[in-house]
Amino acid sequence: MKKVRTLQAAAVAVLFLALLSADVPALADQTLLTIYEGPKTMQSSSAASVSVNGYELFVYDVMVNHEHIWNANTQPSSTPMAYFDMQGRAVVEVRMPGLPRPVESAEVLPQSWGITPVVEDGTVRFTVTEPGQYTVVFNGSVNQALHLFVNPLETDVPDPDDPDVFYIGPGEWAIDAISLSDGQTLYLSGGAVLHSIISVASAKNVRICGRGIIDGSDYPAWNQPGSYARVPIDLNHSRDISVEGIIVANSNCWNVNSYSSKNVTIDNVKIISGRQNGDGFTFQSCTNHLVTNCFARTWDDSLVIKNYSGSTKGITFRNIQVWTDLAQSMEIGYETDKGLTLDPEISEVLFEDITVLYNFHKPVISIHNSDDAFVHDITYRNIVVENAFMQGDNGFNNELIEMTLQNSSWSTVRDEFGSIDQVLIDGLTVLNTADGKVPRSRLSGHDEEHRITNVTLQNVTILGQAVTDLKQLKLSIDDYCDAITVR
Amino acid sequence: MKRFLCIALSALLLLALTLSSPAEEAIETVVTIVRTPEQDHAERPPCFPDPADQFIPLPETENYALNKPASAANHADVYVIKNVNDGKTDTYWESKGFPAEVVIDLQGSFQVSTVAVCLNPSSIWEPRIQEIAVQLSLDGETYAEAAQAADYQFSADTGNRIRIDFTPAEAAVVKVIFLKNSSSRTMGAQAAEIGVY
Repeated sequence: MKKVRTLQAAAVAVLFLALLSADVPALADQTLLTIYEGPKTMQSSSAASVSVNGYELFVYDVMVNHEHIWNANTQPSSTPMAYFDMQGRAVVEVRMPGLPRPVESAEVLPQSWGITPVVEDGTVRFTVTEPGQYTVVFNGSVNQALHLFVNPLETDVPDPDDPDVFYIGPGEWAIDAISLSDGQTLYLSGGAVLHSIISVASAKNVRICGRGIIDGSDYPAWNQPGSYARVPIDLNHSRDISVEGIIVANSNCWNVNSYSSKNVTIDNVKIISGRQNGDGFTFQSCTNHLVTNCFARTWDDSLVIKNYSGSTKGITFRNIQVWTDLAQSMEIGYETDKGLTLDPEISEVLFEDITVLYNFHKPVISIHNSDDAFVHDITYRNIVVENAFMQGDNGFNNELIEMTLQNSSWSTVRDEFGSIDQVLIDGLTVLNTADGKVPRSRLSGHDEEHRITNVTLQNVTILGQAVTDLKQLKLSIDDYCDAITVR
Repeated sequence: MKRFLCIALSALLLLALTLSSPAEEAIETVVTIVRTPEQDHAERPPCFPDPADQFIPLPETENYALNKPASAANHADVYVIKNVNDGKTDTYWESKGFPAEVVIDLQGSFQVSTVAVCLNPSSIWEPRIQEIAVQLSLDGETYAEAAQAADYQFSADTGNRIRIDFTPAEAAVVKVIFLKNSSSRTMGAQAAEIGVY
């Protein structure tokens, strides 16, 4: 009996020690956080309060737009946005005093995070374990959705004493424009709000980085009397450029633009835009661009490729979250030969691991070859559309997928037409639609010589159902399409 | 004693379970808080000192070209010739190609020694080089060279303006000849203002 009791005591002791030892990693699991005060000239949003591991974040109100049809004089509304840097894990707590009624439910998007937040007494609580972009939607409404950007800890911060480094520290700053030349770096610290635009023209080896915000709220929308377009990041005839880590908010026109440039990398850049022609990442006649780990909520096309002066080749968008309040999510066109160049092409374009949180207006995937380019070798891989709510324009433009070879109001070439060939959509998942039905799609060539050919769709799932034929996909094709396969 | 040990072990076990249950409560956090400076308005970033002190100075004497009749063979898009001496650097003239000549009738004869060519001072106008020559005339028909063609560097750091100084001479008509422009944004000459002093 004594022996049994000794064994029992030993077993309890072993269990206790095992529990203790199991607990050690959790207790020693240190989280590193960097949080940024807001400029002293600004006040944290009254709409939302956000804390991570008990530390309050500064919350910015940024322009968004819930009008899902073009209006030249549209008025944006606002939504809360916050950010911090992290290595480890953090408990996020959100309170939303700006909502008309207390928070009763919440979702954390994208769904692939697998986060089910706890809602208790109007407070939303969830844990994040890796850097990325998180959007919290409250009470089943997109109004006042919180955008929370969790950056990795900064590495390779430029030396402020380097004569080729323009180092902008925390605070609120204004300068009409910044022009960067060969070999120069612009660093925009977290906690900084910069009212300006950054131009890189005919330059090489330029870096734009940091955690701060480029803000365009000082300027009226570009199409209003007395105003003009002020593109926050504008690359023009440049090469070997990197843009990393920053936030672009409240632009009065396009957001991150690249024109006739090559060898450009864009990583962890976040765009929120609610004004006229607020396209997100927009490239014209560019080669070799890689966009990764980015976010674009836009009031016009979110990811855009056009030809303005020459051809486009080698563009990759990878691991991007998109929220399209207006127009298309992934648009090639409409302008495919605005520069009237010889034999224009758009080729070797890859959209991979793209999550469309919401599309409220026009097609999610679109190739509008509205001039005379040869558009070919375009791949869409692992595209998830969480909410396909395309309302279109009075019954038109509400497709999930659209590819056309017709003139449009954006055409420059009106008497010649191009073609579309070799398009692969491999992995397309639609989780939710406005009416619970499969949205329609459309392919339309122009004539016998200008056709859409070799388009393959595979691994398509819509509303939980595998889609394996054209009818199921509600895909209409006209007489000028060949080798269109759904499997 | 044994009972005491069992109770003690049970209590410790309960404590261990309590400590280990809500994982988020046990996150040890090392935080870096990046502070912002005291400010009462948005300031110019210190790394971009105000370039006004470095601007190329313009003569303080009368600008004989201001609002006088000006002509050019052509203009690109909406960038008409009247912009070239309207006193505003946010409007400009642009030619369709090269060479491009701007002829300004001073409406009188004046002793002149400087021609200034200005672009919009904003740094969004990236640095560029324009090749420019100046000729003077008393009758608008016969011209004499005042400054031979040379490259001039325009930079926002120096106000996006240049001045061409030459030997003082009498002139009633001034011809400014543009021979090239290094900007990748245009195929023509550009001038927001041309001043004659």
